[in-house]
Amino acid sequence: MTTPATLFDSTDVMPADCVTGLHDLLTACADTKLLLGYHYGEWTFGTPELEAAVASCSLSQSELGHVRLLHGILKSHWGEDPDALVEGRRAEQFANVTYLDRPLTDWTAFVAMNAVVDLAVTRVLFATREGTFVPFRLNVDKMLDEERYHLHHGRGWLRTLSQGEPEACGRLVDETVKALVAVRTWLGPADDAGDRALVTAGIKGETNAQVFESVHTMIRQLAESCGLTLPDLPAADFTGWDAASRRIGTRLDEDILYHLRGSKNAIFKLN
Amino acid sequence: MATGEIYEVFARKAHDEELKHVGSVNAADDDLAKAYAWTVYDEERWVEMCIVPRRAVISVTHDRKHPLCGN
Repeated sequence: MTTPATLFDSTDVMPADCVTGLHDLLTACADTKLLLGYHYGEWTFGTPELEAAVASCSLSQSELGHVRLLHGILKSHWGEDPDALVEGRRAEQFANVTYLDRPLTDWTAFVAMNAVVDLAVTRVLFATREGTFVPFRLNVDKMLDEERYHLHHGRGWLRTLSQGEPEACGRLVDETVKALVAVRTWLGPADDAGDRALVTAGIKGETNAQVFESVHTMIRQLAESCGLTLPDLPAADFTGWDAASRRIGTRLDEDILYHLRGSKNAIFKLN
Repeated sequence: MATGEIYEVFARKAHDEELKHVGSVNAADDDLAKAYAWTVYDEERWVEMCIVPRRAVISVTHDRKHPLCGN
């Protein structure tokens, strides 16, 4: 008979390394979703077909809804100020997948974001669906339900673009690999102590390294089913990796950060 | 780029309601059709939504072009 896992209703009774590790993970998910929301929103216009514009706008809204939810948990249990999380941090402190750091200049980059980056953050949520941190577990199913359509959209468009000319397919492969490498960095090294503490406490069911393997396998199999062959990824090097920002010396584009922030419109804010 | 096909969209708001036809989408494959159907017809909180490729729909009413014996 197995011993029931200890459930955590708050961070008060949680091991200290889990408090930090979970804070960093939730912040990283919220930041990535904020940037996903931004890029989906940017692509409300200019899509190859009208349905994709409607879908992109909808995906943006659901990502921003998830940001609001995650910020609420960070406020309730870590005392974070949701406004300060967006308005008060420097570009290098945003813990988003770095594939989202720059404008997505064409539809191929959009599809790589949708198929790979969105899948990765959803896969992290999936790893916590039966976790022991109750406030998060109560919300994760709703997010996963909504993310189902993000994954359909990413898969469908990757499949569609794979039917293009060889040059376009080559670019799709290149962007997919770039997105995978960025996701691998975001998920961090296999020996990350904070991640290991979360798995030991049952807050996550899998390590981030396992999550990455799962994402990589899913994308490779999807690509193969479309007749695309992904090259081996370059060797991982986590030298200088920072657990809070999940970065190695990179930073979010300042123009994007400016557009993310509402402080420039604070004069119009209702009290 | 693939031109896709038309999918008919059906949905219901409660489990004790019948599925109703709510519209159609044009998509390259089933994955995209699911994403498009869910995001285009999101005006209600559906408890169920289904899509059917229009080519799979079998017409029951006659098309008025043929005599009865040809139906």
